[in-house]
Amino acid sequence: MNRKWIIPFFMAIYLPLLSGCWSSHELKDLAIVSAYALDKNEDGTYVGTFQLINPMNVPGALQGGASGQNPSIATYTATGGNPLEVSDNASTKVSRDLYFAHTSLLVISEELAREEGLATILDAMERGLEFRTTTKIVISRDMKAGDFVQVLTAIDQVPAEKAIKSLEFTEKLYGENVATDLQKFIKAAVLKGKEPLVSGFTVEGDIEKAKTMEQLQSSEGEATIEVNGIGVFKEGKLMNWIEGDKNEGTLWVLDQIQQAPVNIDWDDKKAAISYKVVRQKTNVEAQTKDEKPVISVHIRAEGDLRVIEVPVNVTDPHVIFRIEQALQQKIKDEAEAAIHEAQKTKTDIFGFGEKLHQSDPDSWKKLEPKWQDVYFPALDVDVTVEAFIRRTGMRNNPYLFNLNKKSD
Amino acid sequence: MEKAKISTIQLFILMILFQLSNSLLIPLAMKAGRDSWLAILIAAAVSIFLFFIYRALYLYYPSLLLTDYTEKIIGKFLGRILAFLYILFFLYCAARVLREFGVMLLSFAFPETPLFVACALMILVVIYTVFKGIEVVARTGELLFVIMIMLAFFLFLLIAISGLIDISNLKPAFEDSSKVLNTVFTETLYVPFGEIIVFTMIFPYLNQAKKMGKTGVAAISITGAALALTTILNISVLGVPLIERSLFPLLTTIQSIQVGGFLQRLDVIFILALVIGGFFKVTVYTYCAVIGTASLFNIKEPSKLAYPMGLTVLFVSMIIASNYSEHIQEGLKIFPLYVQLPFQIILPVFLLTIAFIKNRKKE
Repeated sequence: MNRKWIIPFFMAIYLPLLSGCWSSHELKDLAIVSAYALDKNEDGTYVGTFQLINPMNVPGALQGGASGQNPSIATYTATGGNPLEVSDNASTKVSRDLYFAHTSLLVISEELAREEGLATILDAMERGLEFRTTTKIVISRDMKAGDFVQVLTAIDQVPAEKAIKSLEFTEKLYGENVATDLQKFIKAAVLKGKEPLVSGFTVEGDIEKAKTMEQLQSSEGEATIEVNGIGVFKEGKLMNWIEGDKNEGTLWVLDQIQQAPVNIDWDDKKAAISYKVVRQKTNVEAQTKDEKPVISVHIRAEGDLRVIEVPVNVTDPHVIFRIEQALQQKIKDEAEAAIHEAQKTKTDIFGFGEKLHQSDPDSWKKLEPKWQDVYFPALDVDVTVEAFIRRTGMRNNPYLFNLNKKSD
Repeated sequence: MEKAKISTIQLFILMILFQLSNSLLIPLAMKAGRDSWLAILIAAAVSIFLFFIYRALYLYYPSLLLTDYTEKIIGKFLGRILAFLYILFFLYCAARVLREFGVMLLSFAFPETPLFVACALMILVVIYTVFKGIEVVARTGELLFVIMIMLAFFLFLLIAISGLIDISNLKPAFEDSSKVLNTVFTETLYVPFGEIIVFTMIFPYLNQAKKMGKTGVAAISITGAALALTTILNISVLGVPLIERSLFPLLTTIQSIQVGGFLQRLDVIFILALVIGGFFKVTVYTYCAVIGTASLFNIKEPSKLAYPMGLTVLFVSMIIASNYSEHIQEGLKIFPLYVQLPFQIILPVFLLTIAFIKNRKKE
């Protein structure tokens, strides 16, 4: 008799447990943080700015919603002694619980990165449950990180998304940047024979106006967010910036180029031929010869010709061969310039030390203590480049060729 | 001992799931650094010898449990004490695994839930399964094994196509062979491989005794290979320094997966593996403690012991350590050398030697 009731009794007891809502958070109680910016105050505390998504104003979230009338983000600022205290203080100002699982961008101001470095900040992000290690890190150059996340953007309504997309596209299509996430940064920072790189961003224009809806009401906008330079870190602190051609050279050596334009001069005309890399592979090998480390970098690129502004006969394999050689020289110069720059600042951003550790652990043990300061700057790096032109686009010879013929 | 039979394939699955369980999730053999996968393979190879020791004991007494034949081998008084110690050992192991399971679940998925609640929910399922007996445990194993295989396959595929694998993280290999051997004999041999000692409580249920040797060797080799492969994956994706700082490297690996901008945040795979593995190990340990107690104290219906002993496991798991660091330190420093080494290796070898001498006299 008793047994008959025991099963329904237990089933009833388990019912409230099954829903699994011990610490549930309703969506309407969460404030989704899309970007987190950290600055340093004069008194040594951190100033954090949180870019929160305002879901009602993001087009697409609600079809035909109130988009376009109001900013799609809201920002809140708070101070504190560590990143967690900052966010705790910020939540007193926000009516909701700050939710970090979708934070895709961590912005650090240049000042903070230079003076204090990232070493002390990142532990909070790595240890926390919500923060993802795939969050991208960027540095706001010559401006407050807080200002950076307040700038509105036109095409991608959430500015953090816009920043990440610019980062990824410039990395992919132009080979000018590195998209570094938390995990990658910490990984490189803890290795003795490697230093992390982080992309920098600037805002061109009137920042104050760009924070208001005026920014979105003209086609030009009041200010634009731009990727600008790669920051080099040493011992967790920002050392200097790599800019211009050296960006590309750095990425060539790091094997991070996916697609990139290479322009070469021809017959005294600047940037006369443009080559688009579609496939690239860089091999770095480390050896020790007579107790001295020797690094050889081999770059192999394949691609098409995209612009030819001089009359060259590209149907002739010999001419193609000469163009290839010019390309190889150009890539080699870029890579070597980047390597010399790194050697000058005594920061092994390419991970040559780590390569040596992998290929020759015994001699690495001897070199390790003085690697960055003594051995790396004096390193012999042998760069070899193979560049192949596979196609010439939709045409063979440029029409300039025919124009010139007539005048002959 | 209950009247039940399990097939060789069920034993095979039981052994694999039992050994993989939590060792799949925690950093294994990290003392050996980059070469931890090698330490795992060596430990698996050594544990095959251990398995043959257990098998030899079983062959002397094919219808008896470990807790029964200790009596036959070293006499009624000592044998019973030893059997009782083994039961305590199994209970303590069950509690340790339950604690680990609870902490893992809490530390990344349910931070605000009390540990007791997570463990209690788990132990209720375990109690029910143990209550139903070994055949149900084995059949549950078959079902869950399929899910585990699918998860593993899915996971390896995703990691491979997301381009996270960087083999150079594994280099330089074989840096310090003494460190590898040290790791094998102080840690990895005992957890998870030496833990197959509990199967001395399950072997008598096997319906085809002849195939047991092959099954065991196959199960241990596959477990060893799977664990080594997981470790290689973790190292090649994360690198050694990050694994050393991670409580759950596999979780960090899974969290790094980003395929095509939409296939990401697959933590649920980890939770599934965690729940299946944790459930299985706690169940097997608790079952062996229950069945051992029943045969030692002549209790007719072992299933009646499932509730009290299950609750004991739950409470022990609460009191064994005040925080996770303490728990892990005990697990790595004290438990293997002072408890697992004698229970898993020294005592079985000792028992086997005496059994060997006794049986030779008879002839």
